[in-house]
Amino acid sequence: MSEADHEISRRELIASSAFVPLAALTCSSAAHAQTPAAHATETALSPAQMKILEAVVDRLIPRDELGPSAAEAGAPIYIDRALTGPNAGEKQTFVDGLAALDAFANSSQGASFTDLSPERRDAVLTAMDNGTATGFANSQQFFNRVRRLTLEGMFGDPFYGGNRNFAGWDLLRYPGPRLVVGPEEQRMDKLPEPYRRSAYGPQYGH
Amino acid sequence: MAIKLKPVDVAIVGLGAAGGMAVLPLARAGLKVAGIEAGGWLDPHRDYHADEIHNNVRMLVTSVSKTKNEVPTFRTSPEQRASRATSNRTMMNAVGGTTTHYDANSWRFAPWDFKIRTDSVGRYGAAALPRGSTVEDWPLTYDELEPYYDTVEYEIGVSGKAGNIQGEINPLGNVFEGPRRREYPMPPLRDTGFTSLMTSAAGKLGWNGHRSPAAINSQPYAGRSACAYHGYCDTGGCHLGAKNSTAVTTIPQALKTRNLTVVDHAHVTRILSDGQGRVTGVQYLRGGKEYFQPAKVVLLGCYTYENARLLLLSKSKAYPKGLANNHGQVGRHYIAHWDGREISGLFPFELNIWYGALAQGVVVNNWADDNFDHSGLGFIGGASLTVNHELHPIAAAAMPLFSRAPSWGSRWKRFVNQNAGRWVGVYAQCTSLPYENTYLDLDPEAKDPLGDPVCRITSGSKENEPRARLYVASRAEEWLRAAGATDVIKQPLSSEGPNQSWHAIGGTRMGENPETNVVDKWGFSHEAPNLGVLGGSVMGTHGARNPTLTIQALAWRTADHLIRNWKSITG
Ligand SMILES: Cc1cc2nc3c(=O)[nH]c(=O)nc-3n(C[C@H](O)[C@H](O)[C@H](O)COP(=O)(O)OP(=O)(O)OC[C@H]3O[C@@H](n4cnc5c(N)ncnc54)[C@H](O)[C@@H]3O)c2cc1C
Repeated sequence: MSEADHEISRRELIASSAFVPLAALTCSSAAHAQTPAAHATETALSPAQMKILEAVVDRLIPRDELGPSAAEAGAPIYIDRALTGPNAGEKQTFVDGLAALDAFANSSQGASFTDLSPERRDAVLTAMDNGTATGFANSQQFFNRVRRLTLEGMFGDPFYGGNRNFAGWDLLRYPGPRLVVGPEEQRMDKLPEPYRRSAYGPQYGH
Repeated sequence: MAIKLKPVDVAIVGLGAAGGMAVLPLARAGLKVAGIEAGGWLDPHRDYHADEIHNNVRMLVTSVSKTKNEVPTFRTSPEQRASRATSNRTMMNAVGGTTTHYDANSWRFAPWDFKIRTDSVGRYGAAALPRGSTVEDWPLTYDELEPYYDTVEYEIGVSGKAGNIQGEINPLGNVFEGPRRREYPMPPLRDTGFTSLMTSAAGKLGWNGHRSPAAINSQPYAGRSACAYHGYCDTGGCHLGAKNSTAVTTIPQALKTRNLTVVDHAHVTRILSDGQGRVTGVQYLRGGKEYFQPAKVVLLGCYTYENARLLLLSKSKAYPKGLANNHGQVGRHYIAHWDGREISGLFPFELNIWYGALAQGVVVNNWADDNFDHSGLGFIGGASLTVNHELHPIAAAAMPLFSRAPSWGSRWKRFVNQNAGRWVGVYAQCTSLPYENTYLDLDPEAKDPLGDPVCRITSGSKENEPRARLYVASRAEEWLRAAGATDVIKQPLSSEGPNQSWHAIGGTRMGENPETNVVDKWGFSHEAPNLGVLGGSVMGTHGARNPTLTIQALAWRTADHLIRNWKSITG
């Protein structure tokens, strides 16, 4: 019985605090608790590996008249943090993949990836994407994984280190998480104004 | 030695959609109930965020779950060695179970779902039944379940528009639904530009497009807030308590009676039984200690895989092959619901579906169940087709390319810049049947951290369901084009495996015949008279719609039966 009493009061507590939705969406300490690795100082990739990764993601999502590149938006930071924490299980595969990529750049284009022209970098990535690149456990799989993580970094909440300045959300014209969405914001003839803000508070994203 | 606790009237294993529902009628009837739940209470502040990475990419709401340590293995035939199944939308371990982060589409099954065998043979002849299917009619009709659907809809709060009130048809609702006694307790979730577009597109085709029924408050209900449509409902909890999970509805109501004790973070490992074949209680681990909770009645509500596994693990003198398994039926008639979103349309205008909830949708049921003539089609059943709100940015960036752009580089960037907000996928959910080659048992090799075998899924190929899905894919394309889509892409049909399904059904099927069913028409074991089973595991077919409201109506009915027959059941 005492257990039940305890739970009632706890539910009431939650119910009353639930009517402060702002806190639910901006409570960054809670987010830290959930994602301990998000702001750890430790890194998964060495500076040299990071350079390669930056060069890769910058070909996947290049800077152009539509806005910043994936590296400018911080996608590699997202990836590095992911590999130190929630995705630590794939860190080794990732590091091996980057090494294979640079070796393949050398063997097929005659230089390290970061020393290649944009066209030659694209040739390396295209071969990986097609699965014709050599020296990988599975180049296509690695390419798809890098692409997927780049999307997560570019278009995920800036809390995680990418999507800096909301570059990703602006590119898609995603108007950003809002606490309360009214009927005016669910029309088709008029899009909501962008609300450039992290779910964890205004301190993130810039 | 297990610590022996004071006996209770009813021990319920798992407080999810099913267990969390049954506690309320039992507690109201004055029975002392112990709700033994592997997870804890979720906290909206700590656990729920408007964040796609948190909810959908990393599934952090479920990251500490027990289910992650006991993912079933999967194989397609008995000769194979099974390997770990994927689980891309994990079930929840928490008070409230998966209703804490589900999408809350809250459907009644169609009257046809309860008697597929009789109706199909009657209309199309015996050959219409798919080869190898073990389908039986349910041991109850839609009309018998209707009062319980109604009770649950009003108890938790469901938003929707009735299509059939006592025979009076309203095309604003689902005209194919079985008769209901009254209107939904709340109107549907908000109409939007997009829902209007898709409803009128269905109308142009002469189809009945109507709004999804949702266990989400479209207006304040029972002291809880209305939905704020913020767009992070899927695989995330509601920070306002507007999603009507059992954690904010029936469980708190049951606690108020003081007849329910919630025992959280308690992992049930065995159900014990005596020499006469009656269950005596459950054994669980909590905080490193082992407890025995004696109970007059045990109700299992820990989701399909664990329901079957716990029975198979609970061997005793009376049940050498596992509890309630002397007829070898535990695990049989397993069904992983065929569903998927393979047909997408690209529009020359913005759809603005970023916000809202997944259950804020439009549905077409013209191509579901037996709502159209199947003569010569080579399959029975069909699918409901749904389009909905709640598009997240990473998912939008990973959109299908409609053969219009490469998958990276500047051209891709331009493509998503123009089109990320201009496409939608149609979600098709298919009638799914049980087969001889589809069952659950214990894996002989893979174990959970306690050393117990995990559940093994064996699921062979089927003909009926893929044919139905292929057929409705063309209907989905018509619908998208009628709404103005310029491009439609059909990706290959996903197969049912190798995943752990979030709509897993069967394994403890309900039916009159003990030779082919584990529980009787009330949900009680044919073998152990004081053991009941709650959840989709009792269902013998999966309708073309999400299962949970039916699971909950059945759970309430089982509890009701127990209350009415307390003396004879506890005998
Ligand atoms: C992302 C997602 C979205 C969904 N959306 C919808 C939807 O829109 N509409 C719909 O109808 N359905 C939906 N579903 C399916 C729905 O969640 C299930 O049908 C429903 O939750 C099943 O009810 P249940 O009570 O059997 O299982 P659950 O709700 O999962 O509850 C089982 C409970 O048992 C506990 N448990 C398990 N093992 C033990 C043990 N050994 N000891 C103690 N406790 C234990 C678990 O911790 C859990 O709390 C969705 C599912 C997912 C994953």
